[in-house]
Amino acid sequence: MKEQQEVEEAVKKNVILAKVDDMLNWGRGWSFWPVSFGLACCAIEMMAAGGSRYDISRFGYEVFRPTPRQADLMIVAGTVTRKMAPAVKKIYEQMAEPKYVLSMGSCANSGGPFVDSYAVMPGVDSIIPVDVYVPGCPPRPESLFYGLLQLKQKVQNPAKVRLAKHGK
Amino acid sequence: MENSVLQKHVEELAQKLEGEVVETVGMPALKIKGAKISEAVLAAKNFSGSPCDFLHDVTAVDYPERNEIEVVYYLTSLKGSQKMLIKAAVERDNPVIDSAFKIWPGADFMERECFDLMGVRFTGHPNLTRILMWDDFEGHPLRKDYVTESLEERKILRAVKPGE
Amino acid sequence: MLRTEELEINIGPQHPATHGVFRMIVKLDGEVVTSVEPKVGYLHRGMEKLAESRTYPQYIPYTDRIDYLAAISANISYVQAVEKLMGIEVPERAEYLRVIFYELQRLASHIGATGFNASDLGGLTPFLYCLRDREKILDLFEMTIGGRLTVNLPRIGGIIEPPEEFWPTLQKFLDEMPASIDEYNGIITGNEIFQARTKGVGILSKELAEALSITGPVLRASGVKWDVRKNDPYGIYDRFDFEVPTGETGDCFDRFVVRIKEMEQSLRIIQQAVKDIPEGPTFAKVAKVVKPPVGEVYHRIESVRGELAYYIVSDGTTKPYRLRIRGGTFINIQMLSRVVPGWKVADLIAILASLDIVLPECDR
Repeated sequence: MKEQQEVEEAVKKNVILAKVDDMLNWGRGWSFWPVSFGLACCAIEMMAAGGSRYDISRFGYEVFRPTPRQADLMIVAGTVTRKMAPAVKKIYEQMAEPKYVLSMGSCANSGGPFVDSYAVMPGVDSIIPVDVYVPGCPPRPESLFYGLLQLKQKVQNPAKVRLAKHGK
Repeated sequence: MENSVLQKHVEELAQKLEGEVVETVGMPALKIKGAKISEAVLAAKNFSGSPCDFLHDVTAVDYPERNEIEVVYYLTSLKGSQKMLIKAAVERDNPVIDSAFKIWPGADFMERECFDLMGVRFTGHPNLTRILMWDDFEGHPLRKDYVTESLEERKILRAVKPGE
Repeated sequence: MLRTEELEINIGPQHPATHGVFRMIVKLDGEVVTSVEPKVGYLHRGMEKLAESRTYPQYIPYTDRIDYLAAISANISYVQAVEKLMGIEVPERAEYLRVIFYELQRLASHIGATGFNASDLGGLTPFLYCLRDREKILDLFEMTIGGRLTVNLPRIGGIIEPPEEFWPTLQKFLDEMPASIDEYNGIITGNEIFQARTKGVGILSKELAEALSITGPVLRASGVKWDVRKNDPYGIYDRFDFEVPTGETGDCFDRFVVRIKEMEQSLRIIQQAVKDIPEGPTFAKVAKVVKPPVGEVYHRIESVRGELAYYIVSDGTTKPYRLRIRGGTFINIQMLSRVVPGWKVADLIAILASLDIVLPECDR
């Protein structure tokens, strides 16, 4: 009897039981691999976020992959022009599921200061589905981190956040 | 000092080519007809005492009320601080002008941009194609009568030509 | 049957080694490049047309976004052009403050360019050292105006007065910077691998540079001693004592070393300006509604990457009739198709990194 109680207590302290989906989401949320997709000025703030003062590595997201095949997060940083838009869509389609998109800066959110220009696409969400929008021109590295942490919450608690548009 | 030398040269050139000298802030500007541009540019390159032999910029300005487009050349020099503007007027409905590529190969991209955004054709340019807009784009955006498309039209993904 | 073919590859708009959205169509014979065709325009945002629907003061934030690594130089060039058109005299203290901020921005941009140059060639560590020093300068900007990258600092008629704690922080930075430059020389310039990859590579001759209208550190590395700050001074640059560094051969190593030497000269200028700055107001009297007289002006400055010039045509209203921006990068890229053929693909990346391109200046 006493042995069984000890075993039960030891199991409670050292073993976690969960669903496979929750485990996978937990793992995905703690280590996004962004594809380096800096278009304009916001890209420099993204690089500064990767530097040593605002360290992105303490969150686990410092592995910027140059190719979309090995990445699962696309940070669209900068203005999306109409000439560049087909390339953005191509890179998004080359990423493997599950994939997430973070729109950084007001140009990628909705056109920004260039919204009435003949050559600018007002916002990247007309061609790809966006999960998190980070406002700013350019947003400070701390804002980018807040956006990434919101995305982590979204990934780790899918029941609370409806991902209806994602993947379509 | 050299400004007066340059000013004299520009006035002589204006008389020779039936142009006029216009004052802009800080430098002389020579206004001529588009057909005389090669002569003007070669003469400016060989001004004695203060040659203007470095092509700094080629651009174009649209004047619909005068029915002309002015192609503006900004010349400076690496040997001194002289600088001058040459403004060549061409017709708005059929803007054609000689290219400066044979004299300065650096006019390559500058003239392509003028063609792309304003519609000026440069005869003698080896590769006059669009440079800043995509190849199938229609219209010349910097003209005063160009109408920017609405927000909804710009949200549509454009069709990509195969081979791009 | 064995045969050889020419391979055509696309170094596409999304690439870790191109600084932004820049595309090149490269034809290769094995590893050797036979032709390069640069394709630009992926960041064309129509800034010249937007100027026709914004008033003169409203356009100053747009000029930040032309050259995001050296925002203050584009700002100051625009503001000086409008002041020249309107005939406004800026007070002495404002001129000295503009020089201080401008040279600080030049330092920040060259530090960034050094880091990017080294990281493109494979050495990822110097990049972090350079970012550390760049953050110190960005702190100074943030203390003054609140922005790090796109600062929007001067105004038509003057500049903002920095707060009290700006001056001791600036002095501390000036004392620490020479040691950092020595560190860069130790890690990068003296590095054998770096020298082997850049010495003798991508030689741009003096005649070709002049014919292609190239300006900036690229022109100076080819042996031409031309700097607008010395040869055609604007503002109060004729009061400062500094040298113009040049290179001998025009290869990638010379372009890199010219930037490091320019950093040292910038420190000299800032120290002289801090010593000589007078007291006084920092704003001239300008009407609330900015309406320049009818006329045109063409104003150029020695920006970080070349000569940045503005051509403003005014018709007497509050908005410009035509605004033209001449950026150094757009013209400097023309050298690629003439210099690269004959070198290998890895050298193409080295040459591109030594040009220090920034795409919005190219595409506007």
